[in-house]
Amino acid sequence: MIERLLERARRRADGGADALWRQVERTSVAFEWGRLKAAGVAEEAGVNVRVRHRGRVGVAGTTAVDGSTDDVLVRALASAELGESVDLEFPGPAPLPALASYFDRAANASLDDLIGIGRSLLERLEREGCRVNVTIERETAETRVANSAGAAGAYRSTAIGISAELWRIAGDDVLAIGDAVEGADLPGDDAVSALVGSVNARFEHALRVVAPPQGALPVIFTPLGLSALMLPVTQALSGKAVLQGISPLAARIGEQVFDARFSLTDDALRAGRAASRPLDDECVPSRTTCLVERGVVRRFVYDLETAARAGTQSTGHGQRTIFGKPVPGYTNLVLGVEGALGDVGAPHAAPLQLGGGLLAEIRDGLLVDELIGVGQGNVIGGAFSHPVALAYRVERGAISGRVKDAAVAGNAYHLWNRVGGFGTDARWAGARCTPSVLLDGVSVARR
Amino acid sequence: MIDRLTAALGRSRADYTEIRVERTWSTAVTFRGRRLESATASEDQGGFVRALSAGGGWGIASFTSLDRLEAMVARAVELSRAVRVTPPIRLADVAPHQADAILDLDGDVRGIPIAEKKRLLEAYNGELLAVSDRVVDTVATYRDEVSEYWYVNSDGTALHELRPEVTLSGTAVARRDGTIEKGLESIGLRRGWSSVQDKAPGFRQAAERAVQLLDAPMVTGGAYPVILDPELAGVFIHEAFGHLSEADFVYENPQAREMMTLGRRFGKPALSVGDNGAAPGLRGTLPFDDEGTPTQDTPLIKAGILVGRLHSRETAATMGERATGNARAISFRHPPIVRMTNTYIANGQGSLDDLIRDVKLGVYACGAFGGQTLLENFSFTAAYGRMIRDGHLAELVKDVVLAGNLFQTLDRIDHIAGDFRWNQMGGGCGKGGQAPLPVTEGAPHVRIEEALVGGDVPAGSA
Repeated sequence: MIERLLERARRRADGGADALWRQVERTSVAFEWGRLKAAGVAEEAGVNVRVRHRGRVGVAGTTAVDGSTDDVLVRALASAELGESVDLEFPGPAPLPALASYFDRAANASLDDLIGIGRSLLERLEREGCRVNVTIERETAETRVANSAGAAGAYRSTAIGISAELWRIAGDDVLAIGDAVEGADLPGDDAVSALVGSVNARFEHALRVVAPPQGALPVIFTPLGLSALMLPVTQALSGKAVLQGISPLAARIGEQVFDARFSLTDDALRAGRAASRPLDDECVPSRTTCLVERGVVRRFVYDLETAARAGTQSTGHGQRTIFGKPVPGYTNLVLGVEGALGDVGAPHAAPLQLGGGLLAEIRDGLLVDELIGVGQGNVIGGAFSHPVALAYRVERGAISGRVKDAAVAGNAYHLWNRVGGFGTDARWAGARCTPSVLLDGVSVARR
Repeated sequence: MIDRLTAALGRSRADYTEIRVERTWSTAVTFRGRRLESATASEDQGGFVRALSAGGGWGIASFTSLDRLEAMVARAVELSRAVRVTPPIRLADVAPHQADAILDLDGDVRGIPIAEKKRLLEAYNGELLAVSDRVVDTVATYRDEVSEYWYVNSDGTALHELRPEVTLSGTAVARRDGTIEKGLESIGLRRGWSSVQDKAPGFRQAAERAVQLLDAPMVTGGAYPVILDPELAGVFIHEAFGHLSEADFVYENPQAREMMTLGRRFGKPALSVGDNGAAPGLRGTLPFDDEGTPTQDTPLIKAGILVGRLHSRETAATMGERATGNARAISFRHPPIVRMTNTYIANGQGSLDDLIRDVKLGVYACGAFGGQTLLENFSFTAAYGRMIRDGHLAELVKDVVLAGNLFQTLDRIDHIAGDFRWNQMGGGCGKGGQAPLPVTEGAPHVRIEEALVGGDVPAGSA
């Protein structure tokens, strides 16, 4: 279908066109408060087209793909009439890397298979006075991208997400502990067991509530709790932020900005990850991009348009939905630590040891698993201040209990130069793979 | 369309079936600085089926190809039968309704060329940029849509609606040396083109605020009497209390039910809270929810006492209460879940001056940059603040972040003014993967005896 669309676009847009067509089928199962409640399917197809005409770029999308696609082309041309000029060039044909993105076991799992996984999770997580929510989602997708310069790619992909949440309400104390396993293939028993182990370990330590410490303290951020430290960095490494002049890393390529053990890679070709793909949504072949190497800033990520505006090449990070224009976006972010990490393909370290071996070094401090309000405010500047949602006090090298009514604050850029150590518990949390990280001198306040 | 949907319902073998079909035309324009970032027009269509068989769970199917309607009804029924639920799911009774409602389109946005929309936004963006050469960057967005909506269920309800929506927002970024500050204007209305004209003053004020904040000191962290302006008070009541009043949180969780027992004291007698999906002309307003239940004004807290909660038909039946018209879905891609509509703190008495008169040292927190509640803890970032000194408003301060425990904080609301207003903002509410849902919040000025104000974290640079 996009071939015909591009053919017509080529005749009407003098600067060429590209298009993305995607069809998705999703099956989901939901256990609510301990009971299987719902099963669902979703079928969705749509097309997004971009044209360049008289030097201006326009975009349009539709899910009304049953009939003629003329309408979407007309809207893309109308959008281009208003647009500003961009020297955007559509890439020509290029060989694509080999990548297994479609797994039969995931695609063929029956509704009963998915329900079975949910039931086994439920049985292993339920306990007196608690309720469990579990959702399981399986997606199969087919993506086609092509452009008028002759580049094209098509691939099928699968994705599975399993998430579980254990709730305990005692008086006005509300405790919710969740975790998830995500991947392109159906997870094995070991991954499901690791999910159970992760929830259980954090739950057991949470039953005892202790007073929070106060002051500038050593704090361990777990892979799930690390968002407030990672978000400013990933925002600042986006070519879009650099172009807008709001990235604090803009002029610092080649400089040592972070601890020398800090390396960050975006890996679009990581086996078994749902975000992996052979080419991006603008026909640029995928690759592994080193963003920070041993603390030195190496690269920003670009899509075609931001690359054209910045006078550089796309790094293969174009992402587009059915509606709206492509934007630069990450695939699989891997925080690699020199010498400390082997293969970080395992979704969980098992048996789960909270803190990844970093507890022993702490006399009095905190272990942070979840914060409230991450992403609010002026994130890219690096300063953050958040109440904890789930955190534990660490005393004399061991967890003494859960703390409530505490807040942590600091500046991500300063703290990434005060790394006390990286844990041995690297795992995926969504599309990000990191170990626990011990940072020194984080401001901890009691409320 | 209604006939086609009714025919499809007739072929369902489930005990209860509902079908929703939506067709949405939307345009979006974005400026960044002086540059047009994008101007796009989109069309989205699709359907949703939900079926319930005796002893079965919910079978759900959504789709973008309307040719698949009949097949997807059959699929939803099949899924419902594949899921066994004990005790069975029941639905509260709601009288069937037939309605054909064209909401006030107020200048149908579909008839306005996209070039006109670009011109309007360019003018507002220009207002932001013209305020000062310290305004170094802006983001301005215009978004509109008209959604045609059809709903039928096997209880005999059949609805057809045409729903408009328009949102405008502008962020001004002011910079001097290493200091960066923001000012935000946001407007969201369930109306059309006519209602977004003449909005320049709000954009100018947002940019002026950003520039003023460059000179403002950070608030000194600590516990203060805090007065929330109506905008922040509205966001506060939505985030910190509203979500707890959604019955899907409590209906099958005995401990949560106990925590939210009707009759429990939640605040001082000055505090009354409600949710009104039928309030005229607001963004969270619709005649019916996405289960065909008429919307209504639901009291939640009356004189400090918990008196009600928000329901879908399922949560209402489980708890032996009545459906309140709060089952909402953001689109055909999602099932309806219990959501707020227009949530408010009811009017009290007196003015802002009456609230600050006896405050020796306090903070007046205004506007909202964001807020999040997790369980019983919340964190809100105000757009800006003013110190209160000896009963008078004093200097502008920035980085005002309020954090606390919601039970304690609600109980510390000791004075509510009589200057209620709805905040007609853009954005929306997120829950269960469904965002942004159009909602409105409203409140008068509200005083909290004591709240923790953070934000005195030194700004750093790389």
